[in-house]
Amino acid sequence: MLLRKFAFVASTTVLLLLGACGEEKKNEQAAAEQAAPTASNVAETAPSTTNETQTASAVPATTSKVSEGTVLNRGIGATIGTLDPHINFLAWEGWVLDDLYEGLVANDAGGAVIPGAAEKWDISDDGLTYTFHLRDGLTWSNGDKLTAQDFVDGIIRTISPETASDKAYIFTSTIRVAGAQGLVDGKSKDPASVGISAPDERTVVLKLDAPAPHTLFVLGSFYAPPLHKPSLEKFGKDFIKPGNIVSNGAYTLTENVPQSQVTLGKNPAYWDAANVKIDKVVYRVTEDDSTAVKLWRAGELDTTADIPTAQIDPLKEEFGDQVHISASTETNYMSFNISKPPFDNIKLRQALSMAIDRDTLVNKVVKGGYVVNYGYVVPIPGYPAPQVAEATMSKEDRIAKAKALYAEAGFGPDKPVSLTIESSNNDAYKKQAETIAVMWKQVLGVDAKVNAQDRDGWLAAFNSGGWDVFNDNLIGDFPGPETYLAYMDPRADVGYGWKSPEFEAAFDKAMPITDQAERWKVLAEAEKALLDYYLTAPIASSPNRHLIAKKLQGWVDNPADVHPTRFMSVAP
Amino acid sequence: MFAYAIRRILGALPTLIALAVISFFMMRVAPGGPFSGNRRVPDEIRANVERAFHLDEPLWMQFGRWVWGVLHFDFGPSMKYRDYNVSELIAIGLPTSLEVGIWAMIVSTLIGLALGIAGALRRNTSIDYAAGALAMVGLAIPIFVIGPVLQLTLGLELRWLPIAGWDGSWPFKILPIITLSLPGIAYVSRLMRASMIETMRSNYVRTARAKGIGARRTIIRHALRGAIMPVVAYLGPATAITITGSIVIEQIFQIPGIGRYFVEGATGRDYPLVMGVTIFYGAIVIGANLLTDLVRSWLDPKVSYE
Repeated sequence: MLLRKFAFVASTTVLLLLGACGEEKKNEQAAAEQAAPTASNVAETAPSTTNETQTASAVPATTSKVSEGTVLNRGIGATIGTLDPHINFLAWEGWVLDDLYEGLVANDAGGAVIPGAAEKWDISDDGLTYTFHLRDGLTWSNGDKLTAQDFVDGIIRTISPETASDKAYIFTSTIRVAGAQGLVDGKSKDPASVGISAPDERTVVLKLDAPAPHTLFVLGSFYAPPLHKPSLEKFGKDFIKPGNIVSNGAYTLTENVPQSQVTLGKNPAYWDAANVKIDKVVYRVTEDDSTAVKLWRAGELDTTADIPTAQIDPLKEEFGDQVHISASTETNYMSFNISKPPFDNIKLRQALSMAIDRDTLVNKVVKGGYVVNYGYVVPIPGYPAPQVAEATMSKEDRIAKAKALYAEAGFGPDKPVSLTIESSNNDAYKKQAETIAVMWKQVLGVDAKVNAQDRDGWLAAFNSGGWDVFNDNLIGDFPGPETYLAYMDPRADVGYGWKSPEFEAAFDKAMPITDQAERWKVLAEAEKALLDYYLTAPIASSPNRHLIAKKLQGWVDNPADVHPTRFMSVAP
Repeated sequence: MFAYAIRRILGALPTLIALAVISFFMMRVAPGGPFSGNRRVPDEIRANVERAFHLDEPLWMQFGRWVWGVLHFDFGPSMKYRDYNVSELIAIGLPTSLEVGIWAMIVSTLIGLALGIAGALRRNTSIDYAAGALAMVGLAIPIFVIGPVLQLTLGLELRWLPIAGWDGSWPFKILPIITLSLPGIAYVSRLMRASMIETMRSNYVRTARAKGIGARRTIIRHALRGAIMPVVAYLGPATAITITGSIVIEQIFQIPGIGRYFVEGATGRDYPLVMGVTIFYGAIVIGANLLTDLVRSWLDPKVSYE
């Protein structure tokens, strides 16, 4: 009896499963045909403008049975931690934020600064006062009037200690807004003490303590979105959830499924809505890059957040210019712990730097679009970047010099240096650290080990101060040398513990200069002091890597990796 | 049976408490913290963050606060998913994980049992060899290989099924369920085959046959009930592992389940998230084992509730 019951249940279940498979297979085939990037398919999905309030559960494009306007499926990589516009800080969260909000200024498709909510602005001759004039008739997505005070409130909320935003340093360090540090430190509780104000409904005035030509870049939506105070007061931290959120960008949030996807719909209240061509944006979490590539190949994604390095060459062969590899703002380098012998010996640091064969490391081992960099700052057009001495040396000379310096530092085969490289367990970084450890062993006889751990463990190792060599990187907030050099300023208390009057003098000299060419020339002197000190061994600059479907138009590679959807369209 | 179940649940409490204590303090021993970054956060902001998440309190007080919250079904705020509480995240992810895990267990059990029985009753025939080969595949090839292969073949090449993603519809479930159930099919079929062969050789089965009871009736009434016991014993922990251990599957197929929270919580030092998921998993494992024991007792009266 038991077997009979079991057989009945088993056969019924299997039949049901098979039935479901068969039925869904047909649906899926139809859906796949519908989603395939063909001209006929695209023609069927003509734009419509009435899907903004859709709150249905996640429905990826492959299962769409009904045309819902032009849909862009973007691979976002890691999951979203927060969509709170004054807290979120990660690049992929910034992509969503750039669609949801508009700052005083905006970025065009290529990342250049263009007017945003402010149609124009004035900068005082001393470079310390920025006056923004808002467009007439701006509204939030719910129809509320958007005023200058909303932008003031946004910045004040970001730097207020109770918000606990990582972005606060943008207004105290990246640009020094007058009085901002006092609010951050808690020395002042009065927001009016901060140098940002709204003298009338359409004017925002920003006062700085020091000129910063990159100010406009950081006043975009990623760093300085406005605040719709009534929704924050009504919903608290839930003010950014679908149904509650009020935004002022080209899109509004219709769905947020943690670990799965964020869906945006076109915002009809946006001032330039008539020129926004894509009706719906689906940011799909694609933590596994290989899966993201498969989704892209199947037409389920139009863009990917990254490409696995091992797949770049075959994908280039197959898809040609749909594989986008471009310069980014990320610089990679090895930091030496100069507060710990023997790394306080500059000759040893120099020897270690010279023993790295960067061409082999980057072009034959790590690959993936990394570009050898002999400077600390990533290559920036117009910036006269200095380089470490080995940049122009032949391989033989470099190795001979490395050995000589190693010996001068008091080390050799009988007395090798033992060190550990602290690295994150990211594939490329780990491979980089392991290769450098081998190079140091082969060239100098250094006993080098690699300690690869997850990101938090890796950062904790740095903050503990006990490390020998740190496989380090920095992603610039904007494509300018200031962001990198301010981080390395000995007075910035990041944790490198070095002293350099030359660096400080050059950096301080550059800060008041408003002419960018002159300013960067002086900043290059600061970087030269850093490179001559061999506090770090520069290695490479990282690339942005994306797969971009042919049908997607308007995508322009840029170092900041800024790609507002409002400038994109889907080709017919 | 009810009293037995209550006793078991009460007996599980010390286990859960030990799990909570060990997990809580081990998390704090791990290097790094939930707000580690390579930029120094101003002291005032750091202090505010720590105050907001009670990280400025002594550890014992933090633990007490957490226990008090759990008693009120409040697992606290997530430190990485700052828009959500841990309870909200579990409520969002759990149905998905349960759905994939339970279906995978159903498929594993049904197909595994069928293959095992067929293999045992038709030893050294093509059916037996085919079942053995499938079991070898299921056991030898890890799911992080099987999953991508299925994605490539059934998803990318044939376009029969979606490669990844989740909207709750069946097309999105099939590949994850197949992938997750393959090791279970293999294990259950091998377990059932061996157990069935042994049972068929036992004295009581031979006696039944000698009494002239037909083969079918002997198998149904006598052999199967005894042979299935090892499989039932395996199913409890296996169910718990399948439901809670589908992290790799969730990663490969981009499924918004609860398993990934565990990994992300651990790597991001999101203490409340890790603690919440750990306790939840602990409860599932204990519950699954309890259920197994109850089923075994029902199937075999020799197994006492005591």
